[in-house]
Amino acid sequence: MLMPFGGKYQLTPIQAMVQKISVEKKHTDACSLMAFGYNPFITEKSPYHGAYLAVVESLCRLIATGADFRDVYLTFQEYFERLGKDPSRWGVPLSALLGAFRAQLDYGVGAIGGKDSMSGSFENLDVPPTLVSFAVTTTTTDRIVSPEFKRAGDRVVLLRPETDEHGLPVPASLKNVFAQVTELLHSGKAVACYTPGMGGIAEAVMKMAFGNGFGFAFEKELDTQTVFGYCYGGFLLELTDPALTVGTPVGVVTREQAITHGSESLPLSELLSIYEDKLEGVYACNIGPSGVKTENFRYAASHYPAPAIKTARPRVLIPAFPGTNCEYDSAKAMADAGADPQIMVVNNLSAADIARSVERFAEALRDAQMIFIPGGFSGGDEPDGSGKFITAFFRSAAVRDGVGELLDRRDGLICGICNGFQALIKLGLVPYGKIVDADENSPTLTFNTIARHQSRIVRTRIASNKSPWLSLTQVGDVYNVPISHGEGRFLASEELVRRLAANGQIATQYVDLDGDASMDIHFNPNGAVFAVEGITSPDGRVLGKMGHSERKGSGLYQNVPGRYDIRMFEAAVKYFKG
Amino acid sequence: MVYRVYVEKKKELALEAESLLSEAREQLGVKNLTDVRILNRYDAENITPELFEYAKKTVFSEPQLDILYDEMEASGAKAFAVEYLPGQFDQRADSAAQCIQIISQGERPLIRTARVYLLNGGLSDEQVEKIKKYVINPVEAREASFALPETLKADYQIPTEVRTLDGFTDLDRAGLEAFVRQYGLAMDADDIAFCQAYFRGEHRDPTITEIRMIDTYWSDHCRHTTFLTVIDAASFDDPEIQSTYEQYLALRASLGRKKPICLMDLATIAVKELKRQGRLDKLDESEEINACTVKIRIKTDGVEEPWLLLFKNETHNHPTEIEPFGGAATCIGGAIRDPLSGRSYVYGAMRVTGAADPLVPIDQTLRGKLPQRKIVTTAAAGYSSYGNQIGLATGIVDEIYHPGYAAKRMEIGAVIAATPAENVRREVPAPGDVVILLGGSTGRDGCGGATGSSKSHTVASLETCGAEVQKGNAPEERKLQRLFRNGKACRMIKRCNDFGAGGVSVAIGELADGLVIDLNAVPKKYEGLDGTELAISESQERMAVVVAPEDTAAFLALAAEENLQACPVARVVAEPRLVMNWNGKRIVDISREFLNSNGAEKHMTATSKRPHASKKRRAATLPSNIARWPAI
Repeated sequence: MLMPFGGKYQLTPIQAMVQKISVEKKHTDACSLMAFGYNPFITEKSPYHGAYLAVVESLCRLIATGADFRDVYLTFQEYFERLGKDPSRWGVPLSALLGAFRAQLDYGVGAIGGKDSMSGSFENLDVPPTLVSFAVTTTTTDRIVSPEFKRAGDRVVLLRPETDEHGLPVPASLKNVFAQVTELLHSGKAVACYTPGMGGIAEAVMKMAFGNGFGFAFEKELDTQTVFGYCYGGFLLELTDPALTVGTPVGVVTREQAITHGSESLPLSELLSIYEDKLEGVYACNIGPSGVKTENFRYAASHYPAPAIKTARPRVLIPAFPGTNCEYDSAKAMADAGADPQIMVVNNLSAADIARSVERFAEALRDAQMIFIPGGFSGGDEPDGSGKFITAFFRSAAVRDGVGELLDRRDGLICGICNGFQALIKLGLVPYGKIVDADENSPTLTFNTIARHQSRIVRTRIASNKSPWLSLTQVGDVYNVPISHGEGRFLASEELVRRLAANGQIATQYVDLDGDASMDIHFNPNGAVFAVEGITSPDGRVLGKMGHSERKGSGLYQNVPGRYDIRMFEAAVKYFKG
Repeated sequence: MVYRVYVEKKKELALEAESLLSEAREQLGVKNLTDVRILNRYDAENITPELFEYAKKTVFSEPQLDILYDEMEASGAKAFAVEYLPGQFDQRADSAAQCIQIISQGERPLIRTARVYLLNGGLSDEQVEKIKKYVINPVEAREASFALPETLKADYQIPTEVRTLDGFTDLDRAGLEAFVRQYGLAMDADDIAFCQAYFRGEHRDPTITEIRMIDTYWSDHCRHTTFLTVIDAASFDDPEIQSTYEQYLALRASLGRKKPICLMDLATIAVKELKRQGRLDKLDESEEINACTVKIRIKTDGVEEPWLLLFKNETHNHPTEIEPFGGAATCIGGAIRDPLSGRSYVYGAMRVTGAADPLVPIDQTLRGKLPQRKIVTTAAAGYSSYGNQIGLATGIVDEIYHPGYAAKRMEIGAVIAATPAENVRREVPAPGDVVILLGGSTGRDGCGGATGSSKSHTVASLETCGAEVQKGNAPEERKLQRLFRNGKACRMIKRCNDFGAGGVSVAIGELADGLVIDLNAVPKKYEGLDGTELAISESQERMAVVVAPEDTAAFLALAAEENLQACPVARVVAEPRLVMNWNGKRIVDISREFLNSNGAEKHMTATSKRPHASKKRRAATLPSNIARWPAI
């Protein structure tokens, strides 16, 4: 429900992971939250206080994300130096566990599981005393709040508990703060929330600001100790109502992209490059554009073909290969749109099993109107390239004939998403509309220019609505869609791309915030030529695209604003209904 | 006949070669390196020449992306080839073989892969060595020969029996200590003496299988030996901590705890107290310990239903430290298995890791260690590979940098899962019940993980831990996920255990008190595994389930539908002994009571200094500009 990084720039990290509870066929608004707490720079000074605060931090992160302080459970990960026979070394985990023990009783939450590893030593070097607290709870999708600032002009306040003489939060006081925060979030009076961690309030404000590109003006009175020091148990809240008096004022969200404090000002862009460039040499993220040329294609369909035979509830065959993993979402999206999905597991334990699978598939295909090849990693994208297992299967005579018959005689539809798209393009079904042997000039999909897997929300623009799959869209419409792939870089010669575009076969393109096709890695995640995200066969009945349009449902992607539902499954059903 | 082909990405698409070139120049300082080429080498056997020709263009390469060579032309470059150690799972070779078999619909060919590196720029031998060292992690791979092998069939010696350790029961204290060293056991002198006393009582010497199995059972990894060590006395300088300790002692008294004080008791007593207070009433407790389980009610299509929510955290610190890709991959794979064995569907994951500064130049790497930079990036790739292959959404990835993690990396995977409550039945297995082994075949790659991660880690580890790392096979675990999402299959399962630490001996051994296991029924990746290896080899992608005899056939059929290998390997018996038969001999026969004792009781005292006073060696690493603690 929450992407790891939120806001329109996808730069504000979330504090708790939130997912809808996975229900295979039905629908739910129930969701689970999980958050962790841990700071080695405290545990190394005092394992006791560090463990206590790890529990506090994990709880605060759930509350900051909209959870109620009710039915929360913990599980711990303990990782310590080798203890041997030295009593003072044994005192380290003992103190940490005592801190965690007290925190559990203070807050009435229990660690119902845990894992320990006591091997964190090498020669005479030890890991810091490590107790990571994971907190888990459930709620419903409407209660979730994400941490990125939402609106310029909003005030930000700090709520924090009283602390005892040792610096730990007073439990009764912190529980009050929890209740206050929950009320503010659920009433909509607060629209963003963040509990400061290792970097204190300064880190929190910076990260809240990045997501939507806002600035922040700190209250002059705040001293650097408060801004940069620890603030465990505290909550920063973005308030919409200027009249509301609650908490300590911290500052105001600004349109000007700078963080200011009195006369000092730091441009957001400068801060962002310091933040991102620190590890850029290890984990490269912002590689340059891989070829600059692109343009928006445009092809508006005037009419759509209709199948010879109408079907009220078309059947769709969804093969699941070893390594396929999107078949459940695909089947659900199809069923919700009114189609009748059938998942078929391709069995290859023995030669006889393979022969039987081919036979079964060909037979089921005769009764189906559509094939949907779902995403995944067939054969782990090996040997050194994606979709090879699927293409090997589709090239067998019985399946090849069945596919030809579906397309040429029965006006059927085919779609492949992600791994399915890779298979379709390598078979030739897109862009040629039939299974052919590839040569070195055939278009293909290969490794992202960043040379690793990318996962985020991208913006895609409808370049052509020629395909029956896209008949419910208008050319120029922009849809957000999640991508998750290592090999999504569309490759073809410029001449071929132009030919496809002229025939309306370039279905979708990756676009920037202005809606223009882009070669910038922030928008075009794989370096596809001409920013191509999806293509079709000559008549549009076979569609392949990288973005996971089947990953849809109420309450998803709350922290990345935009329009999501491309309604391609409904469009496919409409095609058969007539 | 063995056929060979080389495949190279076209120059403009050779991202990996390009990145090795820049790493070698910038990180390793091999400035005169001008060009790197990387070729995949495939050897194939049991394949017709026509099929091999066809596979060259459809399986081994893609004409749009790759260039094929029948012969390798080094043309003046320095060349070396790298292959996985024998027994390591090679997904590339495995998938290639599966693809070719789909095409032929015949028998699966044998495939072996290697990577060939060609280095240009007039490198000295020393520079080539530097690059080799960077590319080859001896824990998983080795330099390969350029010669074409005559066959890919491994020439295994087929073992027929396991050794009985004659004279074990007669050893004296010194002899026992030598014994522990000789066999590289994780257990200590007290444990081995305890073992000896048991076998004296049985009036026989143990087999090597029994000793290895007990060592695995009692390892810290499986049994939390450290957490169960009795703490005889504890003292604290800090009065605040002392008072919490007294609170703990008072709570023990009020709960009537009889078991001795230990870290495990302290870690679990808060939950006992909260339950007494009437909280935690939604906890789902059973004899099965798969994952944290909570009863929840959720609305599906508007109707409220009872569900179970499961979650679990897991570390693979040791494996990730020595082989980051496989270690991190199997960390997430392992975390998934626990809720999965609880018959739930895992849908979310979180990754929390700890590393030392990855910006430190590679030549400042500690001796006997991989560079932090290599660890962090390769572990990230391994986690990503496994998580994405299995299709698991990771919601948060966080890496914490602290110099202490140079001692050993922290690699945590945490997962969350759910299932309708009606799909989970939990029953005590009854005599006559059948244990079915599900999933991949057993190989040698999974031997010794549990005891390995519980042993001390020294400079020699990188060289000797070869047998202790595994590669994950995500597509195989994904099949298990599908099977366990089928309510019909789940409702037949009385009890289930995963093949994490300890393999057959622990995964099956824990399912019931009395068991007779037929090791010959365990599917093998290759011949040549002996009884001991079959008993202790771990795997990410296997599961053991107990079903009633009348459900066996139906369960096997459901597994087959999911493309999963499944076979009965053991049956539950009344007598509380763990028995394993192999090649017509009883090679393990141990009483449950002894096995569950967890070895000799350990004792320790603990002292804790005041916070701030200890750990001075790390103080220098704290940011000095801000008084960070206590600054709440």
